[in-house]
Amino acid sequence: MTETQHGTRGEARPAAPRPSPAPGAGGTARARRRSSTRIGPKLGRFSLFALPGLLAYVVFVLIPIGMTGYYSFTNRNPFNPPTKWVGLRNYGDLLGDQEFRQALVNTVIITVIVAVFANVGGLLIAMLLDRPTRLYVALRAIFFTPVVLSAVVISVIWQAVLTDDGLLNSLLRGIGVDDPPGWLSDPDLALYSIAWIITWQMLGFCVVVYLAGLQGVPRELQEAASIDGAGRFARFRNVTWPMLAPALTINTVMLLITGFKAYDQIQVITNGGPGAGTTSTMAFQVVQTAFNGNHIGYSSAMAAVMLALVATVSVVTLRLLQRREVTQ
Amino acid sequence: MRRSIVFCLVTTLAVAGCGVGEKPAATPASGGKVELSFLVFETPNLNAAFWDAAIARASAKVPGVTIKKLVTPNVDRTGYAKQLDASGHLPDILQSVNPAGFAEAGKLAAFTDDELKNFIAPKAGAVDGKVYQLPYNTQVIPVVYYNKDAFEKAGITETPKTYQDLLDVSAKLKAKGVTPFVVGGGGADTWADMYPLTGTVATDVYAKTPDFLTQRKDGKVKFADADFTKAAQKVADLAKQGYIDPAGLSRSYADTEQAFRDGKGAMYPMGSWFATSADNSKPDFEVGAFPWPSDDGTPVTPTFTGGGTSVSASAPNVELAKKWALAFDEDKENNDAFVKLDGSIPAIKGYTPPADMGPVYQATVAIYQQGMKDNSIVNAFSQETGDGSLPPGLADKSALGVQDLITGKKTAGEFASYLDDQWTKATQ
Repeated sequence: MTETQHGTRGEARPAAPRPSPAPGAGGTARARRRSSTRIGPKLGRFSLFALPGLLAYVVFVLIPIGMTGYYSFTNRNPFNPPTKWVGLRNYGDLLGDQEFRQALVNTVIITVIVAVFANVGGLLIAMLLDRPTRLYVALRAIFFTPVVLSAVVISVIWQAVLTDDGLLNSLLRGIGVDDPPGWLSDPDLALYSIAWIITWQMLGFCVVVYLAGLQGVPRELQEAASIDGAGRFARFRNVTWPMLAPALTINTVMLLITGFKAYDQIQVITNGGPGAGTTSTMAFQVVQTAFNGNHIGYSSAMAAVMLALVATVSVVTLRLLQRREVTQ
Repeated sequence: MRRSIVFCLVTTLAVAGCGVGEKPAATPASGGKVELSFLVFETPNLNAAFWDAAIARASAKVPGVTIKKLVTPNVDRTGYAKQLDASGHLPDILQSVNPAGFAEAGKLAAFTDDELKNFIAPKAGAVDGKVYQLPYNTQVIPVVYYNKDAFEKAGITETPKTYQDLLDVSAKLKAKGVTPFVVGGGGADTWADMYPLTGTVATDVYAKTPDFLTQRKDGKVKFADADFTKAAQKVADLAKQGYIDPAGLSRSYADTEQAFRDGKGAMYPMGSWFATSADNSKPDFEVGAFPWPSDDGTPVTPTFTGGGTSVSASAPNVELAKKWALAFDEDKENNDAFVKLDGSIPAIKGYTPPADMGPVYQATVAIYQQGMKDNSIVNAFSQETGDGSLPPGLADKSALGVQDLITGKKTAGEFASYLDDQWTKATQ
């Protein structure tokens, strides 16, 4: 990394002068030694500070991932020992597994809906709330509340709203709709109801991130654009939106991850139904296969595929959106 | 630096080695007692105070034991027991956990014939002839509980004796604007939609082939065979004719019971445990009960016997743990409490329920006793334990499939084939 890369959004800072190493191999070696003697003790001290976090990361993240990877190549079933190495068989079986395919499709549908609607809704609300009065500050807190609530609590609340005898249908019946939709009991609607609930919960997060972005847009730029004759839409398109690129990156990546690992809402509200696999997601399928069906090896292969998918989509999205940030 | 990294690695491995897959050694409690963990589940009826008192009574009869109560996070105690087992922490004693899978894997201790001598059906739920869960109570699944007022208003004077009678009664109720059946299965309570199918499988499959699931295991029969498909078709037809409202599939178990109490349907096919709920908290109408009828009116009584405690084969003192489990399940006061709070029908020799039990419980027990007299007892589909039971996870898949039957997303034939596919997958 060069020092010019420390600037934000490609702003170059002049590089500080650094001492030139003596020409020849001997000079380079000496410089390396000097550098090593400077950094070595510091690194040792810093690693002690990093130790608790590193330890937790290794124990609770890396080791379980490693174990999952290992189990995915076995037929591990705690109720049907012994565990045998089966190579890539679990992964081969996944290719022809209709239920897993459906869970994958459901997950993608949820993820796309959440990523699009929470982003758009979050941006619109953030623009409405981007005012300094107390009322708007209070409204920001209200919009953020669902984010801090547990997904289980959110699910219980929405279940009460969306069941056949729930708040929404009672309201619809009250205004004369005789046969209101079965938001959770109709197999064609339930998945979208789940996607809506997750979108609703994530909306507050997007609002806060976009608000932070909006407040970082220099007033001078807006004023300059106005003087140049730009209308509201033109100012948004050419000034505000480009400056919100980092906020879009954060929101999109977070929403993609949230959508891909959707589990709690399905477990609490639909249990994967109504019907076989209608709202089952990859995460739900992993848990069901592991703890209901006892197929730990097979579910580990599912989890490994899920991990690879989430990592790939997140990294690719991050790269694409960050490229946009640099070019603005 | 190098020392730091080495320290890091060593500590990590040490912590990981301690944490994964190991069960802590038996903890000798104070006074030389053995501490045994006991997994229970709490419901509004079987609350913390109930379990604490029940544990205290059993512990008073078995000296040398200290019980450490563990409570499941929800009513799915079998799922939670599997999670604990996966981390190497299977509790020493387990309440009402389905022993399927645990028993075959050698994780549970078998009870001897002598230990089972006080039980009415000592071999209920046996795996290879051995019993791993005390068969302490019987449940009739389903009983059709009905709203007497709604029947009267629809001009129905007699409870159905044949399946055609049931359809006629349903038609009369629907003509009066009353949904005939209340069936739920929303949220995590998908299982609550199973009971019409449990009824039709009993009358159309198990009455002819009582060991159907054992034969399915041996590959001699399939779900796609005519009898099972006919049983599924009956449920699909009930929904198609509007006798079951698919909108009910969004209701949790508690909401489903409430829907029946609120008069949103006239018949409620449910396990016999509903009886005491109806007696203890009476709805605004009189509740009656009749058995699920067969085509020709021949009595068929689907039941489940089992549901008691199991003991882990790796408990610190298995003999003492079994002794405590027996004391717990045979305790008269405990069983009285189970009867009063959970409507159980204890399957223990010489036991008589409290005399002050309500009319719905009495009607339910009468159905069971008539079944015993008629020799018409069969298994309750999806509730079986032991050799003739569904493979792990298949009961949940069946419940999801029933939702498809009710919403019309699957035909009876497709549902039956789906179960065959799931069976193959579960047993691979």
